[in-house]
Amino acid sequence: MNTKLKIFSEQMLVVLNIFIVFLLLFENKLILPYWLQPIGRMHPLLLHFPIVLLMLGIISDLYTTKKGNANTSSYAKITGLLLLAGAILSGVTVIMGLFLVREEGYNGGTIAWHKWFGVVLFFIASIMYWIRKKRWYSPAVSRLCAFLIAPVLIVTGHFGAAITHGDNFLLQPVAAHIQKSRVPVDQALVFDHVIQPLLESKCTGCHNPQKLKGELALTDSLAIVKGGKTGKLFIPGNPDISLLLERVHLPVAEEKHMPPEGKPQLTAKEIELLTLWIRDETPFSQKVIALPEDDSLRILATAIFNPDEEEKFDFPAAEDAAIAQLNTNYRTIAPVSKGSPALNVNIYNRNAYSPDQLQELKQIEQQVVSLNLNKMPVKDEDLKIISSFKNLRRLDLNFTDITTEGLNALAPLPHLKTLTLSGTTLSYPALKEKLPSFKALKTIAVWNTSLSAKEMEELQNINRQIKFIEGFADDGKNPLKLNPPQVRNTSMVFANTLNLQLMHPVRGVQIRFTTDSSDPDSLQSAIYDSNTDITKHTTIKARACKEGWYASDISVFHFFRNSFIPDSVRLLYPLNSVHQAEGAHTFFNTKLGVIGANNPAWANNWAGVRNNDLVLVGMFYKPVVLSSVGLHYMLEAATGIYPPAEVEVWGGNNENHLKRLLVMKSPKPVKGEQASLKIVEGSFKPSTVSVVKIIARPYREKDKGKLLLIDEMFLN
Amino acid sequence: MEKEFFEHGITWNRRRFLSTLSLGIGSVALGSLLMPDLFRNGMADDETITPGIPQFAPKAKRVIYLFQNGAPSQQELFDYKPKLREMTGQEIPPSVRGNQRLTGMTANQASFPLVGSFVDFKQYGESRVWISDLLPYTAKIADELCIVRSLYTEAINHDPALTFIQTGAQQGNRPSMGAWLSYGLGNENKNLPAFTVLLSRGVGNGQGVYSKLWSNGFLDSVHQGVQFSKGEDPVLYLRDPDGFNRRDRRDMLDHLSKLNELSYKEFGDPEIVTKIKQYEMAYRMQTAVPEVMDLSKEPDDIVKLYGPDCLVPGTYSANCLLARKLSENGVRFVQLYHQGWDQHGNLPYEISRQAKDVDQASAALVTDLKQRGLLDETLVIWGGEFGRTSYTQGTLTKENYGRDHHPRCFSIWMAGGGIKPGIVYGETDELGYNIIKDPVHVHDFQATVLNQLGLDHEKLIFKHLGRRYRLTDVSGHVVRDIIA
Repeated sequence: MNTKLKIFSEQMLVVLNIFIVFLLLFENKLILPYWLQPIGRMHPLLLHFPIVLLMLGIISDLYTTKKGNANTSSYAKITGLLLLAGAILSGVTVIMGLFLVREEGYNGGTIAWHKWFGVVLFFIASIMYWIRKKRWYSPAVSRLCAFLIAPVLIVTGHFGAAITHGDNFLLQPVAAHIQKSRVPVDQALVFDHVIQPLLESKCTGCHNPQKLKGELALTDSLAIVKGGKTGKLFIPGNPDISLLLERVHLPVAEEKHMPPEGKPQLTAKEIELLTLWIRDETPFSQKVIALPEDDSLRILATAIFNPDEEEKFDFPAAEDAAIAQLNTNYRTIAPVSKGSPALNVNIYNRNAYSPDQLQELKQIEQQVVSLNLNKMPVKDEDLKIISSFKNLRRLDLNFTDITTEGLNALAPLPHLKTLTLSGTTLSYPALKEKLPSFKALKTIAVWNTSLSAKEMEELQNINRQIKFIEGFADDGKNPLKLNPPQVRNTSMVFANTLNLQLMHPVRGVQIRFTTDSSDPDSLQSAIYDSNTDITKHTTIKARACKEGWYASDISVFHFFRNSFIPDSVRLLYPLNSVHQAEGAHTFFNTKLGVIGANNPAWANNWAGVRNNDLVLVGMFYKPVVLSSVGLHYMLEAATGIYPPAEVEVWGGNNENHLKRLLVMKSPKPVKGEQASLKIVEGSFKPSTVSVVKIIARPYREKDKGKLLLIDEMFLN
Repeated sequence: MEKEFFEHGITWNRRRFLSTLSLGIGSVALGSLLMPDLFRNGMADDETITPGIPQFAPKAKRVIYLFQNGAPSQQELFDYKPKLREMTGQEIPPSVRGNQRLTGMTANQASFPLVGSFVDFKQYGESRVWISDLLPYTAKIADELCIVRSLYTEAINHDPALTFIQTGAQQGNRPSMGAWLSYGLGNENKNLPAFTVLLSRGVGNGQGVYSKLWSNGFLDSVHQGVQFSKGEDPVLYLRDPDGFNRRDRRDMLDHLSKLNELSYKEFGDPEIVTKIKQYEMAYRMQTAVPEVMDLSKEPDDIVKLYGPDCLVPGTYSANCLLARKLSENGVRFVQLYHQGWDQHGNLPYEISRQAKDVDQASAALVTDLKQRGLLDETLVIWGGEFGRTSYTQGTLTKENYGRDHHPRCFSIWMAGGGIKPGIVYGETDELGYNIIKDPVHVHDFQATVLNQLGLDHEKLIFKHLGRRYRLTDVSGHVVRDIIA
């Protein structure tokens, strides 16, 4: 290095020393011109250089002076340079710091400590640089300097960081965690444990007694009440004109917005907490749980104390091999979540259950936290096996064969929080005696047990800490209406006699019915039994009745008799392309259609014509005696589905020699007539026929045919 | 197959290997510079996903999704709008309607008169929540429900909207929510599928349900939803044919699995392993399903709770009861679809019938789970695929009107499974047309459901065709405010 420059630097160091002493002496009289303020504000930028240079310098010096290190003269040079640069820069940093501290908002203990440590650091560094050239400078002295400079450097840096980031910046996450888990909600104060931590996490980095930005500290209640340079932060009870909230609500880009752009912002929940806290004029000594139960502030605050954190289990994990081996088709074992040692166990399939399934679980007794035995034939003695599952949190025993006696085995389980006993046999006196020994129990399900409502209320009163789940029991006060009876017969079309099969899904229901189209009632009408037969077209009206229920709506079933099915059938003209159904076989397949033929899914049982007649020829190998013919059709005037305008029935022994047996007409639908299924039927003198020809003519309006849909024909 | 391996072996010489390798390494290096996450993310796949195990301790272990297919009108059920009633007959202000696109059914409508609910609302429970008179039983469990009035979707027609809310994409071919859960959580009961589907229909105007809604998409086919039907065979093809007993079946399966193992060794197709497993599960289902379907051990009060229709197979009520039984038996995701909610016209009549179909049984399901201590670990969801318009579709008369599809807001409710009970979340404007507070996108809803089951929606991914897929696609936030 240029000798001139070196000499100049050394002189510079001396000047700096003198200047700093001067500054320190007349600090209070110093008035800083505005154009020097940026210099002061560069303090946080520059301070990193001396830290590094001095550190390097002392390390290098330790190495240079160590005995046995030959050829160290070039090292000594570099060390000198490092220390010189470090000392000069620390001097400049100190000056900048002294400038900066003149600005408003910097005072307090930490600033003073930071200042004096910084100054001392600079002096020691300067001294070290000078004495290095002395002959008596030995490795021991070098070490002494190193051990002086390093700690002072660290302490200065730490105080500096505390000023910038807040007092307990470094340990805050740890402290917050400890604090959170330490204050139980029933002791928490709204200010100390809700509002204060919030301010500490987002505001006190700048608004603390050391930094006092805007002359405001938010570190304690007094300072908060006092407010800052612009005035009081809020008037209790009036969040609308609060300065605090105004700053919070300003757009982020706004200069006055708090916290400043780039710093962690308040969350919506935190803002709401602050607003509620101000609105409610909450005293600083207010306890969270002393607030009314439905108070918004309380609800929000409680949520902070009961964060939905995962429960940490401190027992060791079971061996994977053991778990894999115990995992069977009827016993599922799975960790609560990834990496958790805790295991959930579910046992399924009543027939496959045996107590051994529990016995085998002893291998992992420490890890089982929930066990589901719902509906398994678990006996009281099986519960003794469970008594060693000491980390069990939840046990499901709904609809098992256990009794209150068996519960003794469970009482010692130290963590058992949830127990479901619905559908088991429980005795009130025994349960009353035992429940208090379940120390950890929080929830118990006791629906559908022999306990009466009153007994459950008693139990609840004695065991306030436990939540009793009761559930639905029919008190008979709100009877329901039964659903209507159903028909079980596979087809509504029968040949000669039909055994009527009505049913109702509810146990113990009486079905009352009529065959004469009158409405059945629940007292007089015939009671259905399985011996009811019908032999002709019959309309059955039925309703279901049962004590404790309202009688059902009436269901109506139309049964049709069709004595003869032709051995062969054919159509002389084609069917409408959409309504083909099963072609000519449609009419004798015993499948009835339903209303709504335009819905293709339901259209299948309807065969239809529109622009031509429907002419069906049926043949019998053996002649039959025919006396009536009926056609079952759909009427849905709104969609243009009309009855047959005219039906002719011809019969005889030979297709070429047929006699007209019957002519029928059905009336045109009247305007607005409801959609329905109807039958057009007529009888004639009994005639022996081998061939029957049925002609059905659709209605025509304005030269256009109306759709005619027929699903079945009845030949009797 | 062997031929291909052989050919591969001879065409790949050292030179080709090295040249390809260098190119590969170079591009990977460049790629990692451009995308710093490249490697970390790749590792994260393996680290964060262990199919079958929740990523963090779950609140809920199972879901029952009571899907109201066709989109129930929120104005008549959960979103009380007195102002809308006052303004009945007036044209919807353009400022409210905004630039919302319309369906083909109302696009040509000349006017859009507002119409308020024909039915009254009352306040219920400690939460004093407004619920329609059409839902008297649901009203009784008001304090168990978290009603979200601010769900919104992107699709405007049934098929894409259904597909969107079920699979997270409008186009289909993605795994359904139940399939994702099956993938993420695995079977709780190895004798039943993890994802089952139950269908029913009401009298109202219906819309189809298609098996693609319970598809496994690109996931392993074990995750597909299994439909339970109402007939004699609840699960099709499960019953042995006449004259074939269980031992015959066992023998047949043993031999079949040997054959399948051989072909797996040859081809290495993982679907073969799946198939072996599925046959084995079907064998166990032969005994497990009848046990689940058996209603004879249900207490008498259950019939009064669910209503007598719960004993009529194929009804919504019976499906709710069955859903409880399946869920109780460890089925992770039970999906119900009740058709008939598409009230474009004749709304007052149809919605009354639809509501009657589902009201008692939906409420009963929640009560029933609760009384068994299962509600805290079972999440029940009730809702459709979108909402309905505040203006009428077709002619507005004194007694009758209809409502068209409306994606901007709709109401659903959730109960149990670690969701806050007795709250209402989100708010729509006075006309029930736009959301004014706390909107919940379909992906947010899906993210929340996954979260309740211990799954991070951003980490439950499956790599397919070179892309990582999620149920929530590329968006979605867990709605923390409704979590207890």
